[in-house]
Amino acid sequence: MPLKGKVTLVTGSGRGIGRAIALKLASQGSDIIVNFFRRREAAEKTAKDIEALGVKALVIRANVGDPAKLDEMFDTIATKFGHLDILINNAASGVGRSVLDVDIKAWDWTMNINARAFLLCAQRAAKLMEGRGGKMVSITSLGSSFVLPTYAVVGVSKAALEALTRYLAIELAPKGICVNAVAASAVETEALKFYIREGLMKDIRQATPAGRMVIPEDVANVVAFLCSEEAFMIRGQTIIVDGGTSVAPFMAFEEQSAVSR
Amino acid sequence: MSVEEEIKEIVAGIVHVDKGILTREGSLRKDIKADSLDIVQALVAVEDKFDIEIPDEEAQKFQNFGDFVDYVERRVAEKEKV
Repeated sequence: MPLKGKVTLVTGSGRGIGRAIALKLASQGSDIIVNFFRRREAAEKTAKDIEALGVKALVIRANVGDPAKLDEMFDTIATKFGHLDILINNAASGVGRSVLDVDIKAWDWTMNINARAFLLCAQRAAKLMEGRGGKMVSITSLGSSFVLPTYAVVGVSKAALEALTRYLAIELAPKGICVNAVAASAVETEALKFYIREGLMKDIRQATPAGRMVIPEDVANVVAFLCSEEAFMIRGQTIIVDGGTSVAPFMAFEEQSAVSR
Repeated sequence: MSVEEEIKEIVAGIVHVDKGILTREGSLRKDIKADSLDIVQALVAVEDKFDIEIPDEEAQKFQNFGDFVDYVERRVAEKEKV
């Protein structure tokens, strides 16, 4: 139980990647704060599953895009636990539009939830890690570096998140806080199924050299490693979990290329 | 101010329309051209205002503005009873 006695906040951990991370870190002994925004039932289920692993779970509803709600969440954590060891910045939202259709409202909504929330969470979390060190891991995506359809504003927000990860890693290093990010390609979650059609899911599977789509547990395993002492010398990095997709971008077109002259 | 009036103020502020055009029979999407982000923001603002939760599954059932108001009124009444 490498994380026994630790306290971890996982934002957006009712479902999907956040839930998988919460369960993974709980299985390693950490108490977990389950933050959610829209689906209490899912968050309560995650908390129940965490408690079944023999650790504590605390469910807190907060829109991480709202600074006042974030403050309330951290006030509750400070009161209930007195400190924090691990911050997982996972909660995300976004508006799928082409660049020319992104308006100020869509930009602010996405940037506030995906990027500004990490700034504000890290500032509060660093205080709760004072004198004891800690880990921070952000969940980002390949859309920060690659162009994906209607992903402009989300991609920009994830790029900001990765830059912030680097700056925080350096500024917080003297305090014994390790800061890194994990970038996944399309992860097979309910949320993804909601956003993209089955045909595209099949295309993604075929374009993944590892032979299947990334699942939430793949991301959770890497996050758990970054939260371990073995990862102590990794700072400010974005670790890609994509089954090889990003280093083999033309693999999906192999058959077509073979017949072209 | 009634629950309905408060919701009208919230929605009108988010979608930037005159609250007078919001009717119980009207559709947020079709009649006042609210997009999906407007609707999420309105739901969140109403949740915060009345300290209730509106699950997405329930929100998807709203056929018009009146359904939205009725749901919130029911939840507020339930909360007051507790």
